[in-house]
Amino acid sequence: MARTPDAITDRILRWSGVAVFLLLWETAPRAGWVDPYFAPPFSAVLGAFGRLAAEGTLASHLLISAWRGLSGLAVAVAVGVPAGFLLGRHSPRAGEALEPLLRLLSQVNPFTLLPLFLLFFGIGETAKIAVIGWVSLWPILFYTVTGARTVDPLLVKTARSLGVNGGGLCRTVLLPGALPTLFTGVRIGAGLVFFMLVAAEMLGANAGVGWLVHNSAMNFQIPRLYAGAVAIVFLGYALNRGLLTLEQALFAWREAPSEAVTGRAARHVLRPGKGGAALAAALLILLFVAGGWEVRRVNLAAVSGGHSHHGKHSLPTPERIEEEKQLEQDLNGWEPFTDGGKGK
Amino acid sequence: MTAVDVNKSILSASRWLDKVSILLFLAAWELAPRLGGLFETFIAPPTVVVRTLAEFAENGELTGHILVSLGRALAGFCAAALVAVPLGFLLGSGFRTFERLVNPVLRFLGELNPFSLFPLFILLFGIGELSKGAMIFWVCLWPILFRTITGVKEIDPLLVKSARTMGTGIVTLFFRVILPAAAPSIFSGLKMGSGTAFFMLIAAEMIGASRGLGWLVWNAQVNFQIPRLFAATVVIALLGLTLDLLFSVVERKVLGWRQSSHA
Repeated sequence: MARTPDAITDRILRWSGVAVFLLLWETAPRAGWVDPYFAPPFSAVLGAFGRLAAEGTLASHLLISAWRGLSGLAVAVAVGVPAGFLLGRHSPRAGEALEPLLRLLSQVNPFTLLPLFLLFFGIGETAKIAVIGWVSLWPILFYTVTGARTVDPLLVKTARSLGVNGGGLCRTVLLPGALPTLFTGVRIGAGLVFFMLVAAEMLGANAGVGWLVHNSAMNFQIPRLYAGAVAIVFLGYALNRGLLTLEQALFAWREAPSEAVTGRAARHVLRPGKGGAALAAALLILLFVAGGWEVRRVNLAAVSGGHSHHGKHSLPTPERIEEEKQLEQDLNGWEPFTDGGKGK
Repeated sequence: MTAVDVNKSILSASRWLDKVSILLFLAAWELAPRLGGLFETFIAPPTVVVRTLAEFAENGELTGHILVSLGRALAGFCAAALVAVPLGFLLGSGFRTFERLVNPVLRFLGELNPFSLFPLFILLFGIGELSKGAMIFWVCLWPILFRTITGVKEIDPLLVKSARTMGTGIVTLFFRVILPAAAPSIFSGLKMGSGTAFFMLIAAEMIGASRGLGWLVWNAQVNFQIPRLFAATVVIALLGLTLDLLFSVVERKVLGWRQSSHA
């Protein structure tokens, strides 16, 4: 498909804007317009990226954060979608009655809940996933309720009169009918996931992009902090892109907004078919497995090896255990305040 | 007429049901820790929460925290609106090409997680009010800016052209056509901004503050004062809900013509 000249100018404009921004980012600290300590040049941030990648920790942080985010989102979908159908379709009266309560609960600030989740679930992965699930639950639930309520009644009645009922009706009419609205809710929820994930990782974690930012801030490694912030943006962007692709694959039957509505030529979009959806699903599962493995590895390493999660991990050797025991004994024997006052 | 009446009766029935659902929730919340000994140490029943709130309100501490928090949120929000709305008008109307140029960069900046910026704000502005204000400003800025640009860009060209053919000057055009046509979109941006402002405010106060509702939560958590934790959580949720309602009311008042034209 030939691109129109307008699309090409659009592309040039977009990328030249980015280029100018990057150029400014590079020159402003170098020329001394801004303090290079607070705003290191772009090359320094790239250098920090390179160092993290060379250490092999960048991929690990990204994988762990993606796993946490996706797990939280999966929990929210697993709870929100059935509940939404139940409240929106199965028993709409209960849905109406519960709505103000649910609105009130959705207003409960997740940051105030984080301490409670920590009390209930401990400082492990469960509390983080729970708080992420909580945040993304509400848009998914509300949009599913709306989607389930607004399925074209004509379609439902037609299907009923054709003798489709129960599970069949749910699978062939209600779910496809509600899916576009439902998916909007999922995308809004996904937008909140990384927002919350970073906060959760800052409050208590030993790996992940949020931890990376927090740790860099604590150690005044400003380029590394910028690298972490950029990594978070890309992670969020990738998730959003992935969901958009999935949406286009799933709803290929929906009409794209026409030229008459948008005012300019519709951008050519790739419409992946069933193969694309299967590939996306396979990738997701792979990400889940690999991420779960990585989280387990890092957490185990944190338990056994203290703070070490850079580079290679190894089980503590007998010598090291001896060493630590010795250190502990030294510390226990050292009592500065009992004899410090008297003097020897 | 009959349809309206039916609607009204359904509405009043559901209003009644609403209260029942909330009452049932409160009853369950009250009974769960008392009867079953379920998470007794972790969950404060509503009566205890109300008692704690009353104690707080009595010594004036609560209003102090609320005012401090609202003041911070309002300052950041107003600053963001004052910057974003004019900027959005400029980018959306006069400088379209420039807008296309900077759009990807703006999107990138809008996507930046405020938590990753908070350490930088602390480095730049110290741990005083300024860094918290800057954080709220930053969070509010983007939804308002993007929604204003969209609102201005998507004004029906027919309206502008007809006003022009009738000889409307640029100032009248702005106040009578462009501003009212973009207002719904701007308003939704402001609403989104206020929600996020409140959201972030609590986080900012939890990270570093000596007063305010977020500090209250943090302090209660550190000292394991569960009733205080619940009390602060309830106050924050109610404030957020009030803010949301307030915006809806103002929206209906300011943009009433939109609804009426649709009906």
